[in-house]
Amino acid sequence: MEKVKLLYEGKAKRVYSTDSEDQFVIEFKDTATAFDGLKKAEIPGKGEANCMISSKIFELLTIRGIKNHYIRRLSEREMLVKSLKIFPIEVIIRNRVAGSMAKRLGLEEGKALERPVVEFCYKSDELHDPMINEDHILALGLATESELSTIKEMALKTNEILIEFFRQCNLDLIDMKFEFGKDSQGEVYLADEISPDTCRLWESGTTTSWDKDRFRRDLGGVEEAYREVKQRVINTPIESRARILIRLKPGILDAQGSVILNALRSLGFTEVLEVRTGKLLELKVDRKIDEPERIERMCKDLLANPVMENYQWEWEE
Amino acid sequence: MNFGIVVFPGTNCDRDCYYVIKDILNQPVRFIWHRENDLKGIDCVVLPGGFSYGDYLRAGAIARFSPIMSSVKEFADKGGLVIGICNGFQILTEAGLLPGALGRNRSLKFICRYVDLIIERNDTPFTLEFKKGEIIRMPIAHNEGSYYIDDISKIEKQVVLRYYGENPNGAIDNIAGIVNERGNVFGLMPHPERCSEKILGSEDGLRIFKSIVRSL
Repeated sequence: MEKVKLLYEGKAKRVYSTDSEDQFVIEFKDTATAFDGLKKAEIPGKGEANCMISSKIFELLTIRGIKNHYIRRLSEREMLVKSLKIFPIEVIIRNRVAGSMAKRLGLEEGKALERPVVEFCYKSDELHDPMINEDHILALGLATESELSTIKEMALKTNEILIEFFRQCNLDLIDMKFEFGKDSQGEVYLADEISPDTCRLWESGTTTSWDKDRFRRDLGGVEEAYREVKQRVINTPIESRARILIRLKPGILDAQGSVILNALRSLGFTEVLEVRTGKLLELKVDRKIDEPERIERMCKDLLANPVMENYQWEWEE
Repeated sequence: MNFGIVVFPGTNCDRDCYYVIKDILNQPVRFIWHRENDLKGIDCVVLPGGFSYGDYLRAGAIARFSPIMSSVKEFADKGGLVIGICNGFQILTEAGLLPGALGRNRSLKFICRYVDLIIERNDTPFTLEFKKGEIIRMPIAHNEGSYYIDDISKIEKQVVLRYYGENPNGAIDNIAGIVNERGNVFGLMPHPERCSEKILGSEDGLRIFKSIVRSL
């Protein structure tokens, strides 16, 4: 997929159009900013880390039924996504008190909450992304009532999935920021990225920060933190299912298919013109990263006989 | 001439081959379990017929990953003689030691009967005892014996045996047995070990084993 034109350059990402109208390429930069751009730095390896982390998490969310814009990773810092119209809303989910919530309400960072808190902010750099409520969103027409309820439901469900996933990485998910968009059919998708730039991640059972707070608060070890989270995310397997279909190559006589064809036609199903049979294999795999190449190799090395069989496969969603 | 007969789980023609080589031809022979990898002292490796690994996935597909197969590959690369009979032929194609593949019989039936065959080459170590163009009889017993290759012209010169008269399984160009380019690896669907004594109706099979002995 070729990048055609730079559409937008943000603080941490560039978005390009492609030769397909409904697909964009997102390129992750090493630049980090905080406090509305007042603080700015290059963090070598951050773009790559965020791209790898986001890719893996979007793959997990797809398997768990959360519609998201991710299509596939193109390189270490580029991913192909669905082109969406992004809602001008940031959705924040908090599992524990931290950051602006601690400041605003005078609460201690790390305090547990009875239930997750959902906050909305209006995306505007000039206004510094002010907090708004659901009435604002509906009254200003930023989203419809049904879109808003879908967004909220998806955000909370995603939070549940991510809490569990990060727990396996030995990280506590304190809070996170999501963006959503809709496609030309009006279908709502989770968009943007999911990374230490958009999630507060603490070492399990401690207040040690493994996210962008290291940069915001000059805690040091910024590069190491991104690298560490990337490694933990990559090494945490996602149990998924691959479905592999193996068929005789076109043109090779499928004797079984012919017999079935005759049986169908003799039962009066004369509209059937051809029957081809095949083998369906379902693999349960612990998926880390770059599994597509591994499944290809499984097909080539064992599962299909390349002399007379073709194969195709997909992840079961 | 030292023969080694490889035994996979599910191999069932190993004893027959052993009997022919030892008791009829009086040649030294030993069984080699598929988990072994030692072919020291062996002049000819026999991959006998059967249903290695229950023919799971595809006939021969799993057996090719047995430890012994890397040794067989090395052995063949050095010019050692390898003969694969029926399931042994299927294993050789799966392992890439012979070109092509063996698919399901056109009839979808397991076929077990004598067939007529024509000798296309008598310049291989496996067919020295025959005349070119000679018609012989051997039994076949298989469900996946339909030889296939996408481009037949690539192996035209490697065809050693063809079905003569009727094609029992739909094999492309009536192919029943082929050798590799070098001529030291032979795969065939018919069972020579099942027709090596007069009492069994044909001794044509014995001539294949005799050819191997003579070739050395």
